[in-house]
Amino acid sequence: MAVNLKKLTQNEDLLAGGHRACAGCTGSNILRQIMLTAGPDTVVGGATGCMEVVTTIFPYTAWKTSFIHSAFENSAATVSGVEAAFRSLKKHGDLPVEREKMNFIAFGGDGGTYDIGLQSLSGAMERGHNMLYVCYDNEAYMNTGIQRSSATPLGAHTSTAPAGSVKQGKEQHRKDLTKIMVAHNIPYVAQTTPFHWKDLATKVEKALSCDGPAFLNILMPCTVGWHFDTAIGIELSKEAVECNFWPLFEVENGIYKINQKPKDPSPVADWMQKQGRFKHLFKPGNEHILEASQKWVDEEWQKLLKLEASGAE
Amino acid sequence: MAKQFMKGNDAIIVGALAAGCRAYYGYPITPASEIAHAAALHFPALGGVFIQAESEVSAINMVYGTAGMGIRTMTASSSPGFSLKQEGLSYAAGAELPCVVVNIVRGGPGLGNIAPEQGDYFQITKGGGHGNYRLIALAPNGAQEMCDLTRKAFDLADKYRNPACIMADGITGQMMEVVDIPVPEPIPFDHSSWAADGTAATRKNLVSSIVLEPEELEEHNLKLDAKYREIVENEVLYEEYRTDDADLVVVAYGVVSRIVYSTVDQARAEGLKVGLLRPITLWPYPEKALSALAERVPAFLAVELSTGQMVEDLRLAVNGKAPVHFYGRCGGMVPGGEELLTEYRKILEGGRS
Repeated sequence: MAVNLKKLTQNEDLLAGGHRACAGCTGSNILRQIMLTAGPDTVVGGATGCMEVVTTIFPYTAWKTSFIHSAFENSAATVSGVEAAFRSLKKHGDLPVEREKMNFIAFGGDGGTYDIGLQSLSGAMERGHNMLYVCYDNEAYMNTGIQRSSATPLGAHTSTAPAGSVKQGKEQHRKDLTKIMVAHNIPYVAQTTPFHWKDLATKVEKALSCDGPAFLNILMPCTVGWHFDTAIGIELSKEAVECNFWPLFEVENGIYKINQKPKDPSPVADWMQKQGRFKHLFKPGNEHILEASQKWVDEEWQKLLKLEASGAE
Repeated sequence: MAKQFMKGNDAIIVGALAAGCRAYYGYPITPASEIAHAAALHFPALGGVFIQAESEVSAINMVYGTAGMGIRTMTASSSPGFSLKQEGLSYAAGAELPCVVVNIVRGGPGLGNIAPEQGDYFQITKGGGHGNYRLIALAPNGAQEMCDLTRKAFDLADKYRNPACIMADGITGQMMEVVDIPVPEPIPFDHSSWAADGTAATRKNLVSSIVLEPEELEEHNLKLDAKYREIVENEVLYEEYRTDDADLVVVAYGVVSRIVYSTVDQARAEGLKVGLLRPITLWPYPEKALSALAERVPAFLAVELSTGQMVEDLRLAVNGKAPVHFYGRCGGMVPGGEELLTEYRKILEGGRS
């Protein structure tokens, strides 16, 4: 199952231009790359969130596939309904057009996935619907004014976990949602970024071809919420992997595989320094937060190495 | 009193702090998020609690928990988020827990948009959640009232052990006006007879809304109903403007009333005798005042940012004694002055029944 760039570029771009994403948004890249791989026989469900808002402001839609919007917490439930109806129609020979296979992809941001949508996501995965759930993870509620989510990393400034004289941004590490999804024992779970186009396309292909539910967690650097120059979003997604903040890995039928192992991982602080949301951490007195971030990344990386090793035995 | 120029949404937090509220639970949603931002800035600094919940359901249930301890607490959201809170509100009303919930109403149904609307009137004043209960509902029309009515909402909630709701809209929440910052004078209230705060004195108290025996649940409902009647008797708030000799009384609340004030003056300048009655409490509704006006006023007009919700309460109050007209805009559209003047002229010149 090798992804071929030449072939990919010949596929139809299923997310039309003219949508309202911000300059420098890496989310539209993620959507386009996924859809290039998925192809037109795909139903897309989108929870309320920035990518839904910018691509489907009524009566316009940037999607060249079927798109169904649902409430913030319900993307996985809505697509469960679509997929269940499709299976039923197919079983009874009632499909309007005979199709062997359809792809069902549910999108949600980190707020709609890690937080308010976790219940419906967990239910859909446990029931075993044949769908791919994609979390585009920009690590806060950017669409409503940059509030913290359980995906926001330690120390990041947000409007509800502000950095000031009393507190220094978010006080908790981010939740490890990818591992929570692994614990559902579904056929395929993976993490990737929009810089790693080949990794991303391969993972979408695997996710859509497996029998049962699949989950992809995709880091999405956000120029508005992370405060960086609009030109460097893709670069930041590359560097997030190089410093082990966002490892590329996949879990196929319970077996962990790390897709990229940085030989000499860069310090997490180098990556953080390029983002305004961590600006206050570089003031004297906040060194311990940077150290805690590095320690957390190192520990999580070691855990991941062990998980990979345990599967290889 | 100190004066400050601020957004209506920020004024809500000023009012809450003046009321002695120190526990805020919220969830992000436009156009209400500034309330959470202000709470995140001020509550922890004053030794209070600010928690961003993982969902609206959790936020209202954190409020339920804190209220159950007899501590002043609040949450705020906007229409879709307010819908998610309905179960919690029904439980809070059933367990008779005082709390304040703000709804910065936006365009619906569904995701709708983030523009101002008043389409949640039915949801707020007629129940919203399940069962026989009422929310005390206050409708500010500017930043000062966002502050003052929020403060008042805490007092009413405690007095009647019932959730109180601030119903505002995106404009009132976002527009900036000068606010007189009140000096905090929290009214002490004794919660020892019902709250469960972990002390020996409250150990026998039970916070619950489950009443299994039909006889007992009926009794509980009748007790709540008696309380609601008392609220209707004592807590109605409204404002009248130039209604004394009016041939047409316009009834409008919230941001719409601001437009009506100016058009009343403009209409008077044209020789049209128009007045305004502005409900400040939406529940209880100023039914008696309107009923009394209907004895002598030949016509009424409800103006709302909806397809016609409050007009139903106006019709019940007027009770057939005079024609009740309706003019509404929705979806985020707000009527302009000339638009309303045209309606007044039509009604007063008999061009419309």
